[in-house]
Amino acid sequence: MGRYIIRRLLQAIPLLFLISIIVFVLIMNMGDPLVSFAGRNGQVKGKDRERLIRQLGLDQPLYMQYIVWLIGNDWMKIDVNGDGTPDTPGERRGVLRGDLGTSVVTKQPVLKMIGDRLPNTLLLMFTAEIVIIVFALLLGILSAVGQYSWYDNLFTGLSFVGFSMPVPLLALGLIYIFGVYLKRAGLPYFPTVGMFEPSVGKTPEQVLWHMALPIATLSIISIAAYSRFIRSNMLEVSSQDYMRTARSKGLSERLILFKHALKNAALPIVTLIGLDLGFLLAGALVTETIFSWPGMGRLFYDHAVKSDLPVLMGILMLISVSVVFFQIVTDVTYTFLDPRIRYH
Amino acid sequence: MNCVFSKRNLMLLALGAIIALMAACAPAVAPTTAPPTAAPAQPTAAPAQPTAAPAQPTAVPAQPTSAPSTGSKVISIAYTQEPNNLSPLYTNQWFTANLFDLFLANALITFNDKNEPLPWIAQEIPSIENGGISADGKVITFKLRDDVKWSDGVPLTADDYVFTWQMVMSDKNTVTSRDPFDSVVDKVEATDPHTLVVTFKEPYAPWMTTIFSRVNSSVALPKHILEPVFQKDGTLDNAEWNRAPTVGVGPFLFKEWETGSHLTFQANPDFWMGKPKADQIFFRIVPDDAAQLAAIKAGDVDVGVFISPSDVPELEKLGTVDIAKVQSGYKESWYFNMSADEATKGHPALQDANVRRAIVMAVDRDKIDQELLYGLTKPALTFWDGMAQADPNIEPIKYDPEGAKKLLDDAGWKVGADGIREKDGEKLKLRYLTTTREVRKNTQAIVQQAWKAVGIDADLVTHPSDVFFNSFGDKGPVATGQYDVAQWSNSPKFPDPDTVDWLCSEIPSEANPPGNNWEFICDKDLDALFQQQARTVDAKARTELFFQIQKMIADKVYWVSIWDDPDLWTISKKLTDVKFSGATPFWNAYQWDKTQ
Repeated sequence: MGRYIIRRLLQAIPLLFLISIIVFVLIMNMGDPLVSFAGRNGQVKGKDRERLIRQLGLDQPLYMQYIVWLIGNDWMKIDVNGDGTPDTPGERRGVLRGDLGTSVVTKQPVLKMIGDRLPNTLLLMFTAEIVIIVFALLLGILSAVGQYSWYDNLFTGLSFVGFSMPVPLLALGLIYIFGVYLKRAGLPYFPTVGMFEPSVGKTPEQVLWHMALPIATLSIISIAAYSRFIRSNMLEVSSQDYMRTARSKGLSERLILFKHALKNAALPIVTLIGLDLGFLLAGALVTETIFSWPGMGRLFYDHAVKSDLPVLMGILMLISVSVVFFQIVTDVTYTFLDPRIRYH
Repeated sequence: MNCVFSKRNLMLLALGAIIALMAACAPAVAPTTAPPTAAPAQPTAAPAQPTAAPAQPTAVPAQPTSAPSTGSKVISIAYTQEPNNLSPLYTNQWFTANLFDLFLANALITFNDKNEPLPWIAQEIPSIENGGISADGKVITFKLRDDVKWSDGVPLTADDYVFTWQMVMSDKNTVTSRDPFDSVVDKVEATDPHTLVVTFKEPYAPWMTTIFSRVNSSVALPKHILEPVFQKDGTLDNAEWNRAPTVGVGPFLFKEWETGSHLTFQANPDFWMGKPKADQIFFRIVPDDAAQLAAIKAGDVDVGVFISPSDVPELEKLGTVDIAKVQSGYKESWYFNMSADEATKGHPALQDANVRRAIVMAVDRDKIDQELLYGLTKPALTFWDGMAQADPNIEPIKYDPEGAKKLLDDAGWKVGADGIREKDGEKLKLRYLTTTREVRKNTQAIVQQAWKAVGIDADLVTHPSDVFFNSFGDKGPVATGQYDVAQWSNSPKFPDPDTVDWLCSEIPSEANPPGNNWEFICDKDLDALFQQQARTVDAKARTELFFQIQKMIADKVYWVSIWDDPDLWTISKKLTDVKFSGATPFWNAYQWDKTQ
């Protein structure tokens, strides 16, 4: 097992390199890299444009820019004043030496920017993921146990509604019901946007209160989908021979349900969740945007429209590493759930 | 403002998909070849934090570190875009520049809610009469107030302005823009601590919005804080002050910025015009327009920004907010492609001023504004409406389809068999370009009908705004002349009338790809007037020149407005004395008050 994990990690290295090259080339072709320097209506023009392109190293060939991103430029001299002679030593150390670079837009180290946002995203996404797993298991198992009962039909109906709900509609619907109309009616309400009330400050209670609607938005659609998935997996498993064997052994229904049925039905569910976990770091763009939640999804989008290469590369590589990592974790988890799976 | 499915967004989707795919392609069950046992060379993410903490003086004014008590007056403002950073060197962003009026309010001149200039740090507005501007128009002397201090107690002096100029011009700093310091300014000097002398290469009229002004974000930096940082790091690019300007000058001082969430500014008790009435200004970043609307309705924010006209009727019914219509210089307009050059050529009929006039006369612009913009605005008379230099006597072109037909007949464009006019075998069919914004597409549809009624055919084309506004060098459809009539919103330098868009030298071409003259107008008389006004430092004489310019543009129908495009804000009725200026919205923040 140890060797297997090491091998998987080693295989991840060329994969990450490949990803970084493709992503780098795509971003470089994604619009005006100086757009964030422009004012209200337009672009950076004329002399300012020439100067900034030179100062930011955008006049270098693409492969050189990638090399600088990868291993830095402190080993070479660059031309900052435009006299044609490279005479100033570079200062970047490159990703391989832990320097993700500095944002073109904010002038902050990318690592710091990600560090500012990651906790908010993890708070929101992990809480949502837990809510999703708990409710999806609950509803899925209930539905499967009572197949075609009234509550199974009810959950089926609701999950179709939930699953076909577009995120913006759901989010704004929740905002209007719980944030605008309840408040107007003088009833207990949830806040519309943000993480806290400015007049109260950022207390844990405030953050929890403000988290309710975004988490509901994130969860409802996934609960709808996952609970259906769990239901059908449970139903499929419960018609297997070993279930009959378990029953004929006289085991209690509870034991059969959780030990035999759920454990076997869990394999595809673990795969789904494993995939989810890797992408949790990426945040949820639409939900974060509508609820003004300062997470990674918005960080990525804000800097994508501003063509901020260092930040985009930093986030995408972080997500890539996380996805690869959680896939390995998922694969390893299989061996505990299914003794037939063995890695060498 | 961009279309959701612009090319860029599709790219993003593609990026995401590729990562997902590539990650998924990692084999779930590994091949059995013996692997090398070396530890994986994961990039060890040792953070490369620049250690350049600027030498901050310790005398930051006592700011309450906890949340304000419930009795304090917090004014909360929704901001649909987050500031890039808080340094005037490194951003031109409208959302950031507004904030300088709070914590870096040291522009020499500011502008009030009528967009009139007011002396701010300058004791009076320099003119030839008061000796502030030299007779040859090349030297401007500013007498600065001597009672203004940075929040750490150090006086604001002319040296701060000189230092700022040096930082703008330094090759070590990747500043956003050097304009106009690199082109027109010869030197900036402090002859004594409160006298600032700016010497120009040529007489320079539009200095009020460009020289140490809030309008182009050239406000002054604290020399005593940033000079040591520059000397230590060799650049200001990484200064912490750019993100956390803990020393400021203005009615409110920077307190906190949690990225993606909010910025807070705390009242400056030592502000030179007296302690502000509000205790704190809180900017909440609300990137989604629909969510902003909900927050306004719920009363969760006091001020809303860039409200869409279609939301105004509903907001007015609420009774809890006022709508502020703020003239910011922008006008939704028609531009005619006047190019005769083969590569960028417009329809030949557009060379005739009477045809251009007929194109406008055929359309009821007031009705468009009534129907599409809820009567909130009407066509601007001149490109300079809302400024002192606007000529109120310009005659608007009236809606007159019969007159339009006659003008077209007289110009030789006769109705053909298919109802479309033609001359010498060429049909009067115009390529009408605009962006994908809904209101613009609706305008196109109405105009197409109106033109059809007088025998003009229209080929409607829309582009996402990032494509539409691309320069000639980036093959933008307008900049490369792939249109006959184009519709977009533009502004002169506001509220200073300087305009370069119609200079012959600005016509884009292979030799001049960043050129701004996307109408390809090259009128020698107009050009001379524009050149002359920029050198005419006498305000009255300059206004005279602008009256001539406006008459020429109106007579020759070089430009026509479809509607004046004011900024719409919502202001809670709890607030008093909030008087936004189109040029410097938060100029009177020290007077804002909030009733409970």
